[in-house]
Amino acid sequence: MTMIPALQVKDLRKTIKRKEIIKGISFSLYPGEVFGFLGPNGAGKTTTIRMIVGLIKPTSGTITIGGKSVTSQFTEAMKHLGCIVENPELYPYLTGWENLEHFARMDKSIPKTRLNEVIELVGMDRRIHDKVSTYSLGMRQRLGIAQALLGKPKVLILDEPTNGLDPAGIREMREFIRRLAREEGLSVLVSSHLLSEIQLLCDRVAIISKGSVIRTDTVDKLLAEQERVIWRVSPVDRAMQLLSEETSVKEGLDGTLITLYDSEQVPVWNKKLIEAGISVSEMKTQLPSLEDLFLELTGGETID
Amino acid sequence: MTSLVHNEMLKLLRKKRLYVIILIIAFLVPLFTYAQFKQIQTAAEKLGTDDWRTRLQQEIVDTQNRLSSSRIQDEWRKFLKVRLTQQQYYLDNDINPQAPGAPTFMRVFAENSIDLLLPLLVMVVAADLVSSEASGGTIKLLLTRPVQRWRILLSKYLALLLSVSFIVLMVGILSYLISGIVFGYGGWNLPLLTGFSVQGDELVTNSVHMVPQWQYILMEFGLVWFVCVAVGTLTFMLSVLLRSTAAVMGIMLASLIAGAILVNMVSSWESAKYFFMVNLQLTNYVSGMALPIEGMSLGFSMAVLAVWTIAALVISFVVFTKRDVY
Amino acid sequence: MKKRTLPVIIAISSFSVLLFLFGLGWAVKDQLVDTHSELQPSTKETAGNTEPSAKKDNKITVAAIGDSLTRGTGDDNGKGYVGYLIEQLKKKSGSSIAVANSAIKGERSEGLVEQLKQPQIQRQIANADVIVMTIGGNDLFRGGEALQSLDTNSIEDSRIQYIKNLEIIYGAIRKQNPKAEVFHVGLYNPFINMQESELTTAIVRDWNFAAAESAAKFEKVVYIPTFDLFQLRAEDYLYSDQFHPNAEGYKLIAERVASLITVQEEGKTK
Repeated sequence: MTMIPALQVKDLRKTIKRKEIIKGISFSLYPGEVFGFLGPNGAGKTTTIRMIVGLIKPTSGTITIGGKSVTSQFTEAMKHLGCIVENPELYPYLTGWENLEHFARMDKSIPKTRLNEVIELVGMDRRIHDKVSTYSLGMRQRLGIAQALLGKPKVLILDEPTNGLDPAGIREMREFIRRLAREEGLSVLVSSHLLSEIQLLCDRVAIISKGSVIRTDTVDKLLAEQERVIWRVSPVDRAMQLLSEETSVKEGLDGTLITLYDSEQVPVWNKKLIEAGISVSEMKTQLPSLEDLFLELTGGETID
Repeated sequence: MTSLVHNEMLKLLRKKRLYVIILIIAFLVPLFTYAQFKQIQTAAEKLGTDDWRTRLQQEIVDTQNRLSSSRIQDEWRKFLKVRLTQQQYYLDNDINPQAPGAPTFMRVFAENSIDLLLPLLVMVVAADLVSSEASGGTIKLLLTRPVQRWRILLSKYLALLLSVSFIVLMVGILSYLISGIVFGYGGWNLPLLTGFSVQGDELVTNSVHMVPQWQYILMEFGLVWFVCVAVGTLTFMLSVLLRSTAAVMGIMLASLIAGAILVNMVSSWESAKYFFMVNLQLTNYVSGMALPIEGMSLGFSMAVLAVWTIAALVISFVVFTKRDVY
Repeated sequence: MKKRTLPVIIAISSFSVLLFLFGLGWAVKDQLVDTHSELQPSTKETAGNTEPSAKKDNKITVAAIGDSLTRGTGDDNGKGYVGYLIEQLKKKSGSSIAVANSAIKGERSEGLVEQLKQPQIQRQIANADVIVMTIGGNDLFRGGEALQSLDTNSIEDSRIQYIKNLEIIYGAIRKQNPKAEVFHVGLYNPFINMQESELTTAIVRDWNFAAAESAAKFEKVVYIPTFDLFQLRAEDYLYSDQFHPNAEGYKLIAERVASLITVQEEGKTK
């Protein structure tokens, strides 16, 4: 791609008490894309995000937002950034409107009319003048996004945006994020430890484990690479033996066998099985879940 | 910067802190007014006269009698002696230092609340200025704005200065208005003596001079304000360092109370004079009370407080701008 | 309304910052920078002398001076003979009585001479209708010390000094107030039940006699004997320190003094 990245992270490291927590993370975010940041709790997602938004100072490495360095040009960089780190914690004793006013006052470039725009965008006009302490979590989440969007950012960072939302809320949030990326050309960085969420939401994903990125790619590509074939055959033992001669075979649930998908080889293997007198009752391709993928990539490290 | 300060003041106001403080003052002042009223009344009853000279003379004699008691501590004796000379000086110059009136009450109230009550009120505001943002998580939203961290902290500090001033002003106004109902609102021009200094047991009176009460009050409130700012700044530093507002309050409360106790017993521990909390009673230098420790003076105490204040500010700003926020 | 409170508070606060800074600056200037020439203690001399007019007519003013006896040391009720005396006078006259008790524990005659030089004490004396006093017990007994050695010569010296001071005291009182009746409550012997009581009794008698002689030289100075009050049952009337009277002892003294003060219906002494 030749586009200029909206957010670029290069060789980011962080050492806390002589222990390296983040071990050289690099990735880029392009305009209009939703980028997933996937990893188990404690992998370093939140630390990385906090470094991007300037809450934690990196030990080494550079972060640029819209071409401005977060460490040396903090205010310019922050003008292009909107974020929610962990929970959307707002002032409970102020109303939603006062909260937005409060944050709008901190950036001179935000006009008063912008408040109404973001409120409409997140659909909160009905209860905006109520105290935040009376809001539900979903409403706080929306107000959180509203405040993140105040400065018309190029990059939106959402840390676990669907945490604590009900299924309807999750779907609503997902559609909302996709719409922002599509219609406003925002780059969105979403972190999550839920694979299903990333799978449904993101264009590209970085898989992070123990402080380093182990894989960055488009979701489609990652999945395609890992496409498999599931065989329902009998007798299983004999089929296993035959297929093992050709490729790696795993035993699936309820007596199935799983091999990698290879469009040229699969018919050959099929023929071989039939010739050996094995009955093939079912043969289907399947995309793996990111769970499988993660297990594959990390070599057995589990999520959560 | 003005809009940042505006934000901080808005938050302070919405947290109802200032209202609570005004309520506390509005509750305490009538209490003390009544106590003072009662005191004057019983004294008049006992002496059968409301002539202040007789009362002051009586006080002098009472002090002399206490001095002649053998079971009296040395520090206390010194204090009484100084007190005695001063009372005698007032009497000789025919000045009633306790002439009833709202301004007098205001002055006495300020003198008596400078070392504990007012610092406590200031603490209530200062304690959670930063720590509440940290514990409430809102600091993450605050620090990811296109505003440098030192500006955010400075706006908070300015808001603190404003509210400290507001509190001190409220103490003045409320104590004047409420006590005036009982004592009357006059007495601004009452002459008062100041410039006493203490050397050893002796009260040095060569720089004693007379000032009208309004000037005296203005000077004392200036000093009260200075003390409140110092205490506020120290609380502010703790608020930056600690996430828990309760811990901030606990530490501050402990040191203030320790100060109040120490003042009464440190006369032999000389280096204790470098603690901020034994230097809070600045108004005592103006009215010429005995010092807790040899070698303390208004200049010394103000310098000690200033050093603590500046150190606290430096620490606050360095820590706040450098710190990683989790 | 809420919209307006915030700017108002900010404005008030900003104003008060300036005000207090000004006050602080003034305090620093006044206390630390400026040097002041000494205030002349008598700048308002006149004010003190115009004061007696403040005295109300239907009121008896009692001035009490002297030592711990006048203070009331030993009385659990804290009243002393002055307190009981006032109670009795109140009952007698039915009007209010103002009392200025300037007695100091441990005061000796020299001390009283000095005290009488203070303008406020003088003012109180001048205003008084009745003056009560005790003095001499500390000159004589010095807290019991002197009687242990019973050095007759040194006791004689103190007596001479005491009488000299006493006359100065009487003189000073008369100078301030020629009209008021002065009741000087005399000495008793608290050691009457102890060894060598004959000797101590003789000394006390001696002193009392000399003091009464001096009192006789001044007009309206009454020397009131108390020796007899404590002569027979000293232990019943003495406090646990075996020196000061107890409440009962003070009541006896008060009765005796009260009987000498006559008040008219409207409250004025005769």
